[in-house]
Amino acid sequence: MAVTTLSAGTSRRRSSTWIGWSFILPNFLGFAALTLVPVIAALALSFLDWDSYSTPRWVGLDNFERMIHNDTFWTALKNTAYYAVGHVPLTLCAALGFAVLLNQKLRGARFFRTALFFPYITSLVAVAVVWNMLLSPDLGPVNQFLRAIGIDSPPGWTTSTTWAMPAVIVASVWRDLGYYMILYLAGLQTIPAELYEAAEVDGANGWQRFWSITVPSLRPTTFFVLIMLTISSFKVFDLIQVMTEGGPGRSTLVLSQVIYREGIVQGRFGYSSAVSMVLFVIVLTITLIQFQLQRRSER
Amino acid sequence: MKRHLIPSLAAAAALALLTACGGSSGASDQAAGGTQTIKVALWNYATTPEFKAIIDGFQTANPTIKVEPVDILADDYAEKVTTMLAGGDTTDVLTMKNVIDYSRFGTRGQLIPLTDEAKKLDAAKYPGLSSYDLEGKYFALPYRQDFWVLYYNKTLLKQAGVDESKLKNLTWEGYATLAKSLTKGDGGSKVYGAYQHTWRSIVQATSAAQTGGDLLSGDYGFFKDQYSMTLDLQKNGTLMPWATASSQKVTYNTMFSTGKAVLMPMGTWYASTLLADTKSGKTKVEWGMAPLPQRAADGQVTTFGSPTAFAVNKNSKNSDAAKKFVEWASSEAGAMAVAKAGVTPALNSQQILDTYFALPGVPNGDVAKQAFKPGKVVLEMPVSDKSSDVDQILTEEHELIMTGEKSLDDGLAEMSKRVKSEVR
Repeated sequence: MAVTTLSAGTSRRRSSTWIGWSFILPNFLGFAALTLVPVIAALALSFLDWDSYSTPRWVGLDNFERMIHNDTFWTALKNTAYYAVGHVPLTLCAALGFAVLLNQKLRGARFFRTALFFPYITSLVAVAVVWNMLLSPDLGPVNQFLRAIGIDSPPGWTTSTTWAMPAVIVASVWRDLGYYMILYLAGLQTIPAELYEAAEVDGANGWQRFWSITVPSLRPTTFFVLIMLTISSFKVFDLIQVMTEGGPGRSTLVLSQVIYREGIVQGRFGYSSAVSMVLFVIVLTITLIQFQLQRRSER
Repeated sequence: MKRHLIPSLAAAAALALLTACGGSSGASDQAAGGTQTIKVALWNYATTPEFKAIIDGFQTANPTIKVEPVDILADDYAEKVTTMLAGGDTTDVLTMKNVIDYSRFGTRGQLIPLTDEAKKLDAAKYPGLSSYDLEGKYFALPYRQDFWVLYYNKTLLKQAGVDESKLKNLTWEGYATLAKSLTKGDGGSKVYGAYQHTWRSIVQATSAAQTGGDLLSGDYGFFKDQYSMTLDLQKNGTLMPWATASSQKVTYNTMFSTGKAVLMPMGTWYASTLLADTKSGKTKVEWGMAPLPQRAADGQVTTFGSPTAFAVNKNSKNSDAAKKFVEWASSEAGAMAVAKAGVTPALNSQQILDTYFALPGVPNGDVAKQAFKPGKVVLEMPVSDKSSDVDQILTEEHELIMTGEKSLDDGLAEMSKRVKSEVR
């Protein structure tokens, strides 16, 4: 009797495991075919010299050694970090700020929510071209405005090695903030109104309510936003490729562009995979650190 | 933007690996009735008239072979072909858009050798042929040869009272003075004396061709005169600032065909665009061609340019028919078809020139005829396994010099330093 119960339990558990697997199977198949296998292949490729036609040749750590001695790789790494350090906090603050603002019962709040989300679904090339026009050194409205308020030699933006990266960051913040704002808006809906009412009764002002209720209650959302933002910052490619192509010189060249140039353009898939492995490890490390910090702060 | 952690390019590379292993089960190429179909990889079929001219001409001469164009966006051509070949694609004929890509495909054994076919051609009549010599072997035959000339707006020149014959033997100094005097107006209605597109070749390949400098050498002192002149013209407002042209993605066609610039150094390919646009009524500009300005007015014309060629894919299942196509395109009959499309063929002969200048709309005065008989056409970028790396560095430093982010001397020094230390 006892035996049959046990085996029935096991088989039920086993069959529910199978049912569970079958639910994630379609997604997992896609993930395996389009992500997992390529990643493993890229890892293997990074130890090979392969131009995509001839037989791959095992070169051990040569690709990595070449990378370490390559000035362009270090420039791109620095630029990628610069971009992330600018893009992540700015997008986060802007998204949170607009979400709090548009969560209030304002006239036209819906309109502004849509307006802010719009850049995210707009064609990226159009975004880049329009920003280039806005930031054009001589004729652009931004510099015309700066001249009008008395700045005689406004920055050359995308044509200046100093200002190109800030220009790209501003454009990307503008483009991305809508998406993260929607995430925050969703987070804000989950905060119980009683908390605010109680705080109001206790005489807390707006700032105090924001810092003591809104920010802590949004911690899970912030964590998710932070992870997604960091990953997308390190992977940035398209906007920079269209806006500056890494220029002027190498002032906005990022790692993804190095990967693209070396792999797809030059056909050095081994070296290109080595760079992408480095990028992968960087993103993985930062994400793990963020998870660790999150776990600690939850305690 | 919502992809996974992993760089999508790694994915692309690995997918290429997978598909390469799978090989290609290309469509059956032998159709019924003894006709064969070959596929030709080319770019912008609708706006590049010589492709259709060659294909039509070849099909008329070889009724048993049908040619099917594989149209690829010009900007992505090299990347797309690389990816196709990595996937074991069997497209029979591949157009070699430039010699650097050609040497990449050729040295990696992706193309069928055409050395015997190349030896049949008279090298004296094919100035571009030697560019395809890879250690004694040829893998492609040129059908087209572009070189740089000076385009000018006849109407604006006449208005300024400058006689066209003045352009026949122009020095760079003369070009600078003339361009300065032709610059008029302000703001939106400004007419620039000249327009030099953002490409590095306008300064660098010109210097290399006319001083005999080597673009791969790592010593770039020979760029200095040409850069000084260009920077000077940019400073005094004769040229549109490089930064503006680059950030606005200004097209040279707009600058010239709408009369925003009077003089413009550009390749001969632009003539076919002008011919087509004039025919369709897109532009009404009255244009002429003169020889590229020189360092000294000694009557010698040295310019630079690049040939374009067809090659046969190693994976082709119809290599005989494909070879026939490649040979026909570079033959006299092919050259005639190319010339009639308003494009300069690889084969250089009086008969071809006469055909070209007889086309309606082609400027055929003395100046234009002079422009079409350059004494020497130097290859735009020497072919070597280092070419593309050097090209990248020269392009980046060119941007810094032209935007004034680096002084000319610093920029040239940095070019030398980087080429010597980074290119292996």
